[in-house]
Amino acid sequence: MRSAPSTAPDRDRLPVTVLTGYLGSGKTTLLNRILTHEHGLKVAVIVNEFGEVGIDNQLVIDADEEIFEMNNGCICCTVRGDLIRIIGNLMKRRDRFDHLVIETTGLADPAPVIQTFFVDEDLRDQLRLDAVVTLVDLRHVEQHWDSEEVQEQLAFADVLLLNKTDLVEAEALEAIRQRTRAINPLARVIPTCRADAAMDQILGVGAFELERALAIDPEFLASDHDHEHDDAVSSVAFIEARPMSYKKLGEWIDRLVSERGPDLFRMKGIIQFDGESHRYVFQSVHMLIDSARDRPWRADETPRTDFVIIGRDLDEPALRAAFEACVA
Amino acid sequence: MAPPQALVQERLCGTCGNAITAQAWSADGEFLAMATAGGELLLLDFRAGCEELLRGERDSSLDVLGFSPDGRFLMAAGQGGELLLWEMGGTGVRPMAFDPVPLQAGWLDAAAWRPQGALLALGAGRRVRLWDGDSRALREESQELERTVLSVAWSRDGQRLAAACHGEVLLWRPDDPGDLPQRCATGSAGVALGWSDQGTLLASGQLDGSLMLWPDGAAGRGWQFSGFPGKVRSLAWCDQPGRLAPLLAVASTDIAVIWSQQDRGTKGWKPEPLVLHEGRVNAVAFAPGSSLLASASSDGTVALWDGRGRLQQLLEGDGQAITCLSWRPDGRHLVAGGDQGQWWLWPVTLPPSARSRPQPSRPPRSGGFAP
Repeated sequence: MRSAPSTAPDRDRLPVTVLTGYLGSGKTTLLNRILTHEHGLKVAVIVNEFGEVGIDNQLVIDADEEIFEMNNGCICCTVRGDLIRIIGNLMKRRDRFDHLVIETTGLADPAPVIQTFFVDEDLRDQLRLDAVVTLVDLRHVEQHWDSEEVQEQLAFADVLLLNKTDLVEAEALEAIRQRTRAINPLARVIPTCRADAAMDQILGVGAFELERALAIDPEFLASDHDHEHDDAVSSVAFIEARPMSYKKLGEWIDRLVSERGPDLFRMKGIIQFDGESHRYVFQSVHMLIDSARDRPWRADETPRTDFVIIGRDLDEPALRAAFEACVA
Repeated sequence: MAPPQALVQERLCGTCGNAITAQAWSADGEFLAMATAGGELLLLDFRAGCEELLRGERDSSLDVLGFSPDGRFLMAAGQGGELLLWEMGGTGVRPMAFDPVPLQAGWLDAAAWRPQGALLALGAGRRVRLWDGDSRALREESQELERTVLSVAWSRDGQRLAAACHGEVLLWRPDDPGDLPQRCATGSAGVALGWSDQGTLLASGQLDGSLMLWPDGAAGRGWQFSGFPGKVRSLAWCDQPGRLAPLLAVASTDIAVIWSQQDRGTKGWKPEPLVLHEGRVNAVAFAPGSSLLASASSDGTVALWDGRGRLQQLLEGDGQAITCLSWRPDGRHLVAGGDQGQWWLWPVTLPPSARSRPQPSRPPRSGGFAP
């Protein structure tokens, strides 16, 4: 399924930050920081667990998480019905706020939240996803590592806050950083204490803007993954200097998402096509695909293709072979 | 062909401080209420020629409002999660506010008065609650649905109530406590429900871009029409009888569609798309007593169509998106509201093709409402 692009220009659409993280990871602390910080933005917040945010004069709205299966229960077509209704009402008050933050419950799967902003026509036209910010409780994450929710929250993140640095040793922090990197090499990782990340690293990130589609940690691309962690969710990254075939790569991606969509959390790519002066940018969330012809390759760049897949039960050799078969 | 005579020649207008979210007329057409996203509630009293702000601006939107058909009460609800009620004292008398009724079910945006008397059905989370104007209280019993109630609608005779949520439409008889609710499965969420005036057809506009129709009070097998370009966000039945079913108008993305039933077969319903608007169609409504249809769009216009889908006139506001509209019960006046708080009231002359029965009309006086 290709999501129809929004017809509205980016600047006219309200930015949305999705806040995820397992129970006790510090979401409420971060939310209260966002609401009290002097960033000059009027922030509206939708919470699913009411009562923890106690800030006067702020637009805080409680919504009961409600999943709508849009198409025979396919997880790629699930959206959050409560958000469609509440944000639909809220957008009539558009002049009252500049940024929307959605706090999900600790056990929430972030995918339906993200998909809502691509699938629902009104939300797609009026809002734009800015970033998925996931908090990781450094002290307790090891205990929950096998939880599906934790792995999905890591996989969907654009910004990963490794929180509570004051409660763990440096080696433990590094080990967790490595392990989260293996799952998600795209996210910006920020160690924090009491969720004290700089506001500009959380709000106004623009992670879903295609031209900023790829920010792979160079270390990740350079390192040879030794799969020391046996996590169900992992990632693969390909770099290809040879130009790709438009037809072959397009067909492969279509086939991949139709066969493996539910297992593919996010994909991002910057692509060099054969005979093409411009670079192409690409991203997907499960089966929702967004791509565009971007700018020309600059003189100081070496054209190449960077491609990252984050998903469940990924067969790296098979994916690599299929990817390399798309070289022009 | 000579251009049709203009249906609309003058208008009244005014301004609220925030986007207008809902408008409603009293049954006698003497009162008009408007609610805004800033929580204002404006009441126009045409006989007295005055207007009153029943509720001032505050940081909490109102999204649904309506007068009880017996004229005794005005209700409004929204973001605050409370049912607000006023007792109407007659023209020139300030309505008396009741204490707000807390529902503890989050944002309220689905409510409908029974067409007779003063019984209000209100979607409150996963329940439908009833507020009874005779006892002036919420009834104890409520109907529970599987999911959050998105829309409610009464049959014309007031006997049956329908409520839509994701996955199903529930129908029951609120006056008969022993009545088991009837469940109609739907593949997605119903966002707009409406019974035909004869009360035999129930329509539901769905989030997945389809329209569902059930005949015979939903006892019969339903139709589903899919392939709309987006969610079916608004629908309206014509109150004039058709050869078979009355006309049904729906809105989806930037088009409105008039459906007419040609025969009783599975393919008997024919769509007539009304392609004109250049922005989302937010509301459609037939003029009471005729087949004249109004469609309101984010492109800043209201279009008037005859029952065969021929454009009669295009009304322009001042460019702001038109969010809602409502016909006066006399079918000769149309009010529309904008997303910057402007409202317009247009007197409408029915075109010959839409006229069906003569109806005396008393125009609202322009008293205090000139801009």
